[in-house]
Amino acid sequence: MMSGRSIPFLAGVTAALAAGWLAFPRAIYRSQPEPVNFSHKIHADKAGAKCEDCHTFRDDGSFAGLPALDKCTGCHSAPMGTTSAEKSFIDNYVTPNRQPQWVSYARQPENVSFSHAAHVKRAKMACETCHGNTGSSDTLRPFQIDRISGYSRDIWKTPGTSHGMKMADCVECHRRQGLEHSCLDCHK
Amino acid sequence: MNATRRQVLMFAGGSAVGVMFTPAPWRLITDTALWSENWPGIPAPPRGEIHTRFTNCSICTAGCAVRARCVGDQPVELAGVAGHPISRGALCPFGIVGHHLPYIPARLKEGPVGQAAAAIAGGLAKCGPAEFVVTLDLQPGRTASWTYRRAMGALKNGRYIAPSVDAQVAVDLSKARTVLSFGVPVLDGWGTPGIVNAARAGFRLIQIDAVESRTASMADRWFRVRPNSEEVLAAALAGRISPAQAADATGLAVAEIAALAQELEQGGPVLVLGSSQLESTVGTVVARHETPVPGEWKKSAPVTDLASLPDRSVRVLLIDESMPGGYLQWSAIARKLVADNPVVVTFAASPEGYARHANYALPVAVYPEVSGDVPPAIDSVASTFRIASPLVSPPSGMVNPESFIATAAGLSTGDTLRERADAIHKSARGAVFTYADGQSQPLKDMKPDDFWKVLNAGGCWIDEPGAQTAAKLTFGTAARPPEEESDLPLAIVVARETASGIPLLSKVYRESNLRLAPGYVALNPACGLEDGSQAIFETLLGKATVGVTLDSGIPPGVAQVSATPALLDLCAAGARAKVVRS
Repeated sequence: MMSGRSIPFLAGVTAALAAGWLAFPRAIYRSQPEPVNFSHKIHADKAGAKCEDCHTFRDDGSFAGLPALDKCTGCHSAPMGTTSAEKSFIDNYVTPNRQPQWVSYARQPENVSFSHAAHVKRAKMACETCHGNTGSSDTLRPFQIDRISGYSRDIWKTPGTSHGMKMADCVECHRRQGLEHSCLDCHK
Repeated sequence: MNATRRQVLMFAGGSAVGVMFTPAPWRLITDTALWSENWPGIPAPPRGEIHTRFTNCSICTAGCAVRARCVGDQPVELAGVAGHPISRGALCPFGIVGHHLPYIPARLKEGPVGQAAAAIAGGLAKCGPAEFVVTLDLQPGRTASWTYRRAMGALKNGRYIAPSVDAQVAVDLSKARTVLSFGVPVLDGWGTPGIVNAARAGFRLIQIDAVESRTASMADRWFRVRPNSEEVLAAALAGRISPAQAADATGLAVAEIAALAQELEQGGPVLVLGSSQLESTVGTVVARHETPVPGEWKKSAPVTDLASLPDRSVRVLLIDESMPGGYLQWSAIARKLVADNPVVVTFAASPEGYARHANYALPVAVYPEVSGDVPPAIDSVASTFRIASPLVSPPSGMVNPESFIATAAGLSTGDTLRERADAIHKSARGAVFTYADGQSQPLKDMKPDDFWKVLNAGGCWIDEPGAQTAAKLTFGTAARPPEEESDLPLAIVVARETASGIPLLSKVYRESNLRLAPGYVALNPACGLEDGSQAIFETLLGKATVGVTLDSGIPPGVAQVSATPALLDLCAAGARAKVVRS
């Protein structure tokens, strides 16, 4: 039977568990909102847009990444609807011709060079394999960046998937596919 | 409520135990490790749109094709170009990290340009009838080399010196069934990685080496001979001396030598590398066509060697060591300088070479800042013309040796690369590989401007293959018998891997024994010195402080020396040395 003398010890354990599991994950990340409350879902459902319509490949096969404003103004040169998000986007970006400063959830660290072309064009992988359900999300969640390492939270665990985007995740997938590569295939 | 000290300690203990069952400490360890990789001061490539550019690597004469991923004007990753007819997608470890070369801290960044020009002008004015103005070009065969020859030809007493390399002779590895290499690092930076890799399965490599070099360890057969006895073995294989005589000198058994001779007889065609005693089988050596040059360039100084100059006759010496190449020992050069105030100017990226001896060391641009052509490699059966197009801009204050020497000699030059490209185009020979479509097309089907555009975008002109010849190939093996000084117990073997002096891959040097680091000497572990310790390396020509690497592949009584200029200056052919604790 537990004696009263153990209570401070158990209180310490409980406090540490609470701090470690609840407070620490909140404290370690700094949140940064996306500039526009973009809905992938609306664009996919109503406009019939596919991933590659906005996240394009250039003529030389390299991946252009996040779309620039001119991609948006192809449809949004004038307001399409009356929502506050639409009005805000037109007023803040389209009219002054200002590029939205999107932040990439999947941003890899400086020493990594990832080829979208090799994975999408050559290996025919679906975007969802790595990026999870981002393409069907209705809002953009805040970008969370590790205060110490500077890594995106998605690197550790990508929402909608059972994996992250760490080197170990890449290696595991490549091993499953029977693909072995050298360090310099990915590292700059 | 008043907490007792015991309760506080119990609480702290509980917290310590509890926190171990949360992600916090483990995550902090990982995060701290990642943070330490991105400390301020560690260069980070810029972020932004990545685009691809093509160039040719000029770190060595292999001149491998390079695909550079760039952010803005900054290359962030280099790779080979698949489908290239010469380099075949391969790029050596130096080439892969070549974009780091401009940022080497020890790089020569400034020099007395005006003073050097004035000193050269003074030297030219003072040059007597029996004295010479000499340009020493460590990497001959380039368009800049032609400018040096023209500049020296424009001077009454001008001479053009280059290490003894016959630029028109090449080996055809694809034709050889056996490659007999006398100390040549065939599998370790000697030729073009793509060509060697492609041909490797087709030939049997027999390596004659005094130490367990990386080529020796990867060869089909390795004969460990006594240092500097390679030519004796070659003489025995050529039938000039008996196997018994060779056995004494090389340390091999008579039966081994006889078996090797028989193996060569049955394993032809044989390509012999690194020996002046043996000839290769006809077909494995090719005489390349000369890469065309404008007709008026032919009126230039011939290529001569240092030995042809009388001692004490060089008034002005201009050295282009901007591109890595052969190294001539300084003592041999110094003998040729006039006794009273010779002018020695070197164009260098590093203070480690001739800059140690020159009156003036002028800084030059390095790959991938520099624009220049790369001469054809030893294993390219056809002549080539490819330009190392700059990927980044050189820092201010860099000197272009080609235009500097031309100006000093009063030679007016234009865009020499373009002039040579036009001369090649006029010949209508060969084909051009373009990166836009990864295809080769005949040069005669291309307009001059298009050809120039392709060359500047990393394209490559490849001539028709040369005729087969029976020419001998020599690579500067030990020609003299070893010295026998009793107080110098170690025979010297120079690690001849190409580019070993280039200050790239310093992490590899520091953290592994994969390559002998510049300024290091490899010794047998039984030598009595500690691995990584400092020692004094001494020969009859002088002494230097070196680092010690212990390597069981080095036999007792042998010192393998890195091909660093400061150490090469101490190592005459056949020289002996001692290495003592400093």
